[in-house]
Amino acid sequence: MLNTAELKTSRTTGPLVELVKKSFTGRLQSPIAQQEMLEVQNVSVEYGTGRAMAYALEDVSVAFSPGKLTLLMGPSGSGKTTLLSVLGCLVTPNRGSVRVLGNDIAGWSESAKTELRREKIGYVFQAFRLFRALTAMENILLAMELSGRTGRQAREAAEAALLAVGLESKGHLLPKEMSGGEKQRVAIARALINDPPIILADEPTASLDSKSGNQVAELLLGLAEQQNRLVVVVSHDNRWLPLCHRKVVLQNGCLIGDDVTRNTTGKLGTGRLVRPSGALAA
Amino acid sequence: MKLAWRNLSNDRMRFVVTIIGIAFATFLMIFQGSLFTGFVRASSKVIDASGAELWVVPRGISCVEFGSPLPQRFRELALGVPGVASVRRLAAGYVSYQKTSGQRESVFLLGADPGNGKLPVPLLSAESGAVLTETLLVDESNADKLEVATLPLAVEVNRQRANVGGIINGFGSFLGAPYVFTGYRDAVRYVGLGAEETMFLMIQVAPGSDVETVRQALSSRLPQADVVTRSEFAFRSQFFWVVKTGAGGALLTAGLLGFVVGLVIVSQNIYATTMENLEEFATLKAIGAPANFVRGVVLQQALISGAAGALIGLLATFPLVQLTLRFISWIYTPWWLPLGMIVVSLLMCALASVVSIRKVIAIEPGRVFRA
Repeated sequence: MLNTAELKTSRTTGPLVELVKKSFTGRLQSPIAQQEMLEVQNVSVEYGTGRAMAYALEDVSVAFSPGKLTLLMGPSGSGKTTLLSVLGCLVTPNRGSVRVLGNDIAGWSESAKTELRREKIGYVFQAFRLFRALTAMENILLAMELSGRTGRQAREAAEAALLAVGLESKGHLLPKEMSGGEKQRVAIARALINDPPIILADEPTASLDSKSGNQVAELLLGLAEQQNRLVVVVSHDNRWLPLCHRKVVLQNGCLIGDDVTRNTTGKLGTGRLVRPSGALAA
Repeated sequence: MKLAWRNLSNDRMRFVVTIIGIAFATFLMIFQGSLFTGFVRASSKVIDASGAELWVVPRGISCVEFGSPLPQRFRELALGVPGVASVRRLAAGYVSYQKTSGQRESVFLLGADPGNGKLPVPLLSAESGAVLTETLLVDESNADKLEVATLPLAVEVNRQRANVGGIINGFGSFLGAPYVFTGYRDAVRYVGLGAEETMFLMIQVAPGSDVETVRQALSSRLPQADVVTRSEFAFRSQFFWVVKTGAGGALLTAGLLGFVVGLVIVSQNIYATTMENLEEFATLKAIGAPANFVRGVVLQQALISGAAGALIGLLATFPLVQLTLRFISWIYTPWWLPLGMIVVSLLMCALASVVSIRKVIAIEPGRVFRA
C-alpha cells in the first residue's frame, strides 16, 4: 500500500525512481519471484484462412524473469504486438502454451483470464488508453474499483500513485488537459495501482518527447530493478537499448534474437529513433 | 455509474440529441396513448355514465350511437322480472340542429328518463326530478360549434322548436357530431320514434338481488333483445369503435408507431454513443473489467439517457395535452399512462442497449495494443 506522507517527504528529496522504489513496496516475496514468471512455448498465431492464412507468430518460445526490463524489438509486422498480446492474455494463440506465474492458462475461461489480467498484469499503451471522460484520479480509481477497492483508502492510494509519478497536483485534470508524458505517467500509475508483478508496455515512449520519454523509461526501469517486477517493453526505439537488460528480436513472426545486454545506464540512449525495415541495428 | 455518466456528459451534443430523441418518443407515446385512452373512454362514456347495472339493447347492437327501436312493451315486461328495481329508457339518434345563424349541424341527440346516474337530463330542479320540455343541454366543448353564446337559446331540432337551456361538461363527442342531451319524451319526438317504440332500457337491480340472476331472468323474458351488463355493453361499444371502425385502430397504430420511432431513435443514439466509446470498452476489458461491469456501463448509459429523456418528454406532455383539450375535448391522460410510459421508455432504452452490449462484449481486448 502506498504511503502518501512518506512519498511527499521523498518527493522533495529524491528522483522519480526513488519515489517509485518507496511507493510500490513489498513486491515479489513469493517463491515464484526468481523463477520464470511469464513464458510462451511453441506459440503460433495465425490470421486469415486457406491461402490467405498468414502467421503473426510462428513457433515462438521465450520466457521472462522478474527484475528485468526486456526489450521486444523488430520491424513493423514482425509480431511484437501480437506476442505482447499473447503474453498479456489478450489473444489466445492457435498453438502452443502460455504460462503465467507458473500456470498454464490453456483452457482457462474468459472470466478467469479477465481476473488474471486485472490482478497480475499491468498494461501501458502507446496511445495511453486513458478514459477521456474521467480525470487522472478517476482513471486510477476505476482500475481499483475493478479490483473491488473503493472508498477513502482507494482514494488515498490513488493520490499516492499520482504522487509517485509526479502528478500529485494534476489529479483533477482530464486526459485532454494533460501533455503526452503526463498521460503516459497516469497510465503507468493506473497499471501499477493494483500492484501487478508483470508490466507489459507497448511503445510507451513513442508518443512522447525526449524529456517525457526519459521519465517514463526511468519509471519502468525502476519497476524492474528496484521492485523486482517483470517488465516487457515493445519498441522500435533504439534509445531503449542501453536501458534494457535483455533484447528479444522478432522478424516475420519468428524469434531471431535473444540477447542479454548489459548493465543499464538508467537513461534512454541518445541515438536517433530508428524504424528498421529489415534486421534491427544494435 | 460514474463512467457511464461521464461518457455521456463528455459528448454533450450527442447526449442532448439522445435525450431529445427519447423525450420526443416519450411525448409521442404519452400523447398518442392519451388520444387512444380518451377515445376508448369517450366511446363508452354514455354507457358508463348511466349507472344502470344492466342494459337491454336491440339484438346485435354494438353501441348507443347506432341503435335501433325496441318495442315499448319490453319496459313493462322488464319491470315484471323479479329483482328489477327500475327501468329507465334512452332514445337516441342523429338529428339536424339549426343554429341561430340558420346553418344546420348534424348532432347526436340523447334523451333519457331522469335518475340514470350521471347521464345529463334537463331538470327543473334536482329535488323535483321534473324534466324541462323542449330543452337541450350542450357540452361546453361544442358550445362554439353550435353557436351557443347565451342561455336560453332558441334553436330547431329536425325542424321542431327547442331551447338550449344549459351547458354541461365531460361529454365531448368523439364522433364529429356533438352530443346534445334532452328529456326522453322530447328525444322520442325529435328522433321520430313511434309511439310503441323505445331504443334502450337501463335496468337498476334491487338491493340484495344478484345481477347475473336478474340478467338471466331478463334474457328469458326478452329473447328478442340482448341483456348485457353495463361493463359488457361498454366493452362492446369500445370494441366497435376501436376495432371495427378502424378509427381507434389508427390511433393505436399511431401510438405503436410512436414507440417504434422512439425505439429506432433511441437505438441509433445509444448505439452511436457506445460505438464512439468502443476503444474505451476494449481498454476496460483489457485491464480486467468483468463482462458484467462492461454490460452495466452500457446499460447505465442507456438508462440515464432514458430517465432524462422520459422526464423531459413527460414535462412537455402535460401543457401540450392541456392545449389540445381546446380542440379535442375527449383526450384523456389517466395517471398511470405517464408512469407506464416512463417504464416503457426505460425498457425501450434497455432494449436499445442490447445490440450495443452484444457489440461491446464481442470486442477483442487485444485491439488495445493497436495504436
